[in-house]
Amino acid sequence: MTAAVRVKGAPRTGVDWFLLLLRVLLIGLIVIGLLAFIAQQIDPGNAFAKWTHDGEEASRLTWPQFRGLIVTGLSQGAMYGLIALGYSMVYGVLGFINFAHGEVFMVGAFTGFIMSTKFDEAGWWDGWIFIPVILFTILVCTLVATATAVIMERVAYRPLRGSPRLIPLITSIGVSFFIQNAVILLFGPGAKGYPPNPEWLEETIPGLGIEVKKLLVIIVAAISMAGLWYFVERTKTGKAMRAVAEDKEIASLMGIDVNRTIVTTFAVGGAMAGIAGILWGILFKSVIATTGFLPGIKAFTAAVVGGVGNLGGAMAGGVSLGGAEALAPLMLLEPLGVEGPSQLRDAVVFTLLILVLLVKPTGLFGERLSAEDRA
Amino acid sequence: MKKLFMILGMFLSLSMVAAACGSTIDEVASDAADAAGDAADAVEDAAEDTADAVEDAVTDDEDAMEEEDAMEEEDAMEEEAMADHLGDGSLGQVVVEAGAEVQIRSLNAITGDVAFLGLPNQRGVEQAVADYGDIKGFGVTSGQGLDDLCSADGGQAAAQQIVADEQIVGVIGTSCSGAATAAAPLISAAGMVMISGSNTSPALTSDQQGNAGPDYHVGYYRTAHNDLFQGAAMAEFVYNELGLTSAAAIHDGDPYTNGLADAFANAFEALGGTVTTVVGVAKEDTDMVPVLTEVAAGSPEALFFPIFQPAGDFVADQAPGVAGLEDTILLAADGLLTDGFMELAQSEGMHFSGPDVRFGANTNESTGVSADEFLATYEANNGEAPSAAFWGHSYDATAMLLDAIDAASFVDGDGHLVIDRQGVRDHLNSIQGYAGIIGTINCDAFGDCGSQKITVIKHDSAADIEASKANVVFEYAPS
Amino acid sequence: MSTAEATKPILEFRNINTHYGAVHILKDVNLAIYPGELVCLLGGNASGKSTTLKTLLGMVTPTSGEVVLDGEVVNDKPTSYRVERGVTMVPENRRLFKRLSVLENLQLGAYLRNDKDGIANDLERIYTMFPRVKERMHQKSGTLSGGEQQMVAMGRALMASPRVLLMDEPSMGLAPALVQTNFELIQQIHEEGIAIFMVEQNANMALSIADRGWVLQTGKVVLDDSADSLLANPDLRKSYLGEA
Repeated sequence: MTAAVRVKGAPRTGVDWFLLLLRVLLIGLIVIGLLAFIAQQIDPGNAFAKWTHDGEEASRLTWPQFRGLIVTGLSQGAMYGLIALGYSMVYGVLGFINFAHGEVFMVGAFTGFIMSTKFDEAGWWDGWIFIPVILFTILVCTLVATATAVIMERVAYRPLRGSPRLIPLITSIGVSFFIQNAVILLFGPGAKGYPPNPEWLEETIPGLGIEVKKLLVIIVAAISMAGLWYFVERTKTGKAMRAVAEDKEIASLMGIDVNRTIVTTFAVGGAMAGIAGILWGILFKSVIATTGFLPGIKAFTAAVVGGVGNLGGAMAGGVSLGGAEALAPLMLLEPLGVEGPSQLRDAVVFTLLILVLLVKPTGLFGERLSAEDRA
Repeated sequence: MKKLFMILGMFLSLSMVAAACGSTIDEVASDAADAAGDAADAVEDAAEDTADAVEDAVTDDEDAMEEEDAMEEEDAMEEEAMADHLGDGSLGQVVVEAGAEVQIRSLNAITGDVAFLGLPNQRGVEQAVADYGDIKGFGVTSGQGLDDLCSADGGQAAAQQIVADEQIVGVIGTSCSGAATAAAPLISAAGMVMISGSNTSPALTSDQQGNAGPDYHVGYYRTAHNDLFQGAAMAEFVYNELGLTSAAAIHDGDPYTNGLADAFANAFEALGGTVTTVVGVAKEDTDMVPVLTEVAAGSPEALFFPIFQPAGDFVADQAPGVAGLEDTILLAADGLLTDGFMELAQSEGMHFSGPDVRFGANTNESTGVSADEFLATYEANNGEAPSAAFWGHSYDATAMLLDAIDAASFVDGDGHLVIDRQGVRDHLNSIQGYAGIIGTINCDAFGDCGSQKITVIKHDSAADIEASKANVVFEYAPS
Repeated sequence: MSTAEATKPILEFRNINTHYGAVHILKDVNLAIYPGELVCLLGGNASGKSTTLKTLLGMVTPTSGEVVLDGEVVNDKPTSYRVERGVTMVPENRRLFKRLSVLENLQLGAYLRNDKDGIANDLERIYTMFPRVKERMHQKSGTLSGGEQQMVAMGRALMASPRVLLMDEPSMGLAPALVQTNFELIQQIHEEGIAIFMVEQNANMALSIADRGWVLQTGKVVLDDSADSLLANPDLRKSYLGEA
């Protein structure tokens, strides 16, 4: 289970040395990159910066630019986090990765597209009436995504309960293709554009330098997360969910209906993905049948980085992933003289995953697996 | 489970690095294409052998004639039908039986995101075939339209299908330069010709200074412009007309966009301007703020992003929100010169470069059909106006190919139409001063036939796209 | 004891047979547990003790025979149905929800109950019975010592306000010093009038507090007698009490 951790006292093999080297190399790169960044912020013409930039002065990042990156990273990360919760919860309870979860997110974004277009035709996707309308849209997106996740569990995964975990895993890939192509069949393969946001949503808050829409994304994500936290930690159903995640047999001994709790888990994960979907639509104003793929993979990465099965970890993993994605190209790679660092954004994300697994195989905040998965 | 994560992570990370290094992939792809080309060479050798055998049968007399010297010249003259066509038979012949049709093909991006580009191309081919009529009494068909998928693998797969059919003389396509890179070597090796109406990558032809591009293959032609000029045109417009001295460019790793961004950067620097950044995005990227921040670090006065939708939507939408780019002039190329993009509010105020599409009353000399007549037929057949600008290029390309087939063929004693493959190339190589819908067409030694005139338009209102398309603010014709 | 036998049994096995696939585990087993008594089931490894408990709780469905709860055949009723009607278990190795707090573990014990006051009362009763548990109510139960975990496990079972408490190897995995305390706790619970059905390897200790006992061997009940007689049985002494 812990590929990267050597049993104490066992002799180091070639693989151990390789992994050690990789760890040292990656951490070394991060440290040097950061130092170089700080150095060129202070003096863009320092010797190292000149050396890495072919003799020319490096460019300084201004504070508004830096702030812009942080806000972007946060809002993107918040969405990754919301999606990651679904991966994490299902993994915690059933011990398999539901690769079709990214499609639940996409379904949420598509629902948002349909709703927003209709509201726009009615002239309600504008001005201050937008506020109740968006709340209603969020609600509908949440419901549709929840329904998708629940039907998915009932049709595709429940019949496989008790079979080896690889089987639902492969099934989930099939479900993912099914949903993608069903959406293509229904709505066509092209990108669908959301109507323009109300003008006040596109404005920048003076002084703060944050766009209103990004703030909205961060706030809605935070509220959703708080709601989920309350649900899982404080309600009876939430306790039952955690009990089922840890030990299904004993949970049923307590009288908990395990099947129903599993459905609840899918439903709650789906709801979070649905919210992320509509937020995505507001932020990027475009959705396509394959929208779920890359954010899904990144959210899955976020879940692993935070520690699978750990809800706080999933959210923190998402935010750190979004942040790393936004900041690392310019704060680590550019100072090292990498050309076109933004192209390496996705590579940064997955390198981060490898690094976390190498240094702390259970994720930043520790994984929470059920009794049978720990064995 | 941890191991699975590790392996997944490693794999994803590697593939992302690979994807980011777009050029590396292209090399790999073209290597693969070369390998495929080698395979095709073998096929071609075999084909040549059979062709030689046929030829031997036909030309044994000729050999004999040569040996028996000029005395037999009169006999040779008697073989009038044979002598009255272009070509020396070195690439073999296509024999069309009486009653059969001459086979050409359309290979364009007709599905997916870029169908807006490929479908008008294919319809241009079909209309040209219909307008042209018979060749020496033989009908012509473009068969079922093939799909290049706008990708190297799509182009390669379709080309393999084409070269397997020895009846096919030539191909009109591809839509995308990336697909042509993989298709051209196969088509070339099979002795066929390929004329594209919308490939623009300089790598496919030449640098216009006598040096063949890395992906040039004999038998490749195009009626579209060479991006060297579009880049130069945009650079000249920005530097001389707008009077800006610093600029940045964004591409998406595709050979087309990459080549265009580089061409712009080189020309802009040659004029004396400063290029602050040339950087790539991924086609599926949505969050452009990091890359735009990277661009903003150089404080460019102009930003040229010759990419496609949907990535172009995000760049245009997010750029004004990035500190340092609020007042930067946004420019794009013909890839975004589409109704879908120009209808978006964020595209207002942008400039677009592209081929001069004010065809007006230009008439194709082979079919006698004018641009206006073409458009009338097009709208009648399809219920819409063309969604991209290269239908005329494809139309002229098709007419040129059919002219070439006419010039390189003869009807033999059995009533078969015999087409000399080398003759088709000879004819295309010699085209000068051909009047097409797109203007006057002259083919150079590396297959560039198109008019190289580029225009820049200013897009003032998303509500009136047609007005913007006619709002030409700059014209550029290479000297 | 005679009073107990006079009333009707709470939980009963009538000619129970169970299979795991083709393997025949329990063979024609008959058991009866009466209100308020303390009985024990003895047997070696793989004799079918755990299967007996799982069948009683409905986690395993018998292939033939009847599981009877309060006179009703409950073969096809889920675990929750039986828990609601007063049957619960302290599992082997305690199996607490380690990531949940002590309080949450106890609350989950009362998952099926809706009487808020009753739950609050029972919680108080358990705190009185185990003051150590009260001190640690907000800790994650995984951080508790073995003895404390045993108390929480018993408390959790008691929160269901059971009439019959099944105990699977309660002394397993406990330090020898704790085993004695543990049996005192069991007696204490028993004195509150709750029937206890205990599966135990430690036959000596178990029989010393039990009223009656059964001995299970390869799925068959081979001995069924009062605890005193079983303690005196020479065969049993040889095979289970470790005497030569």
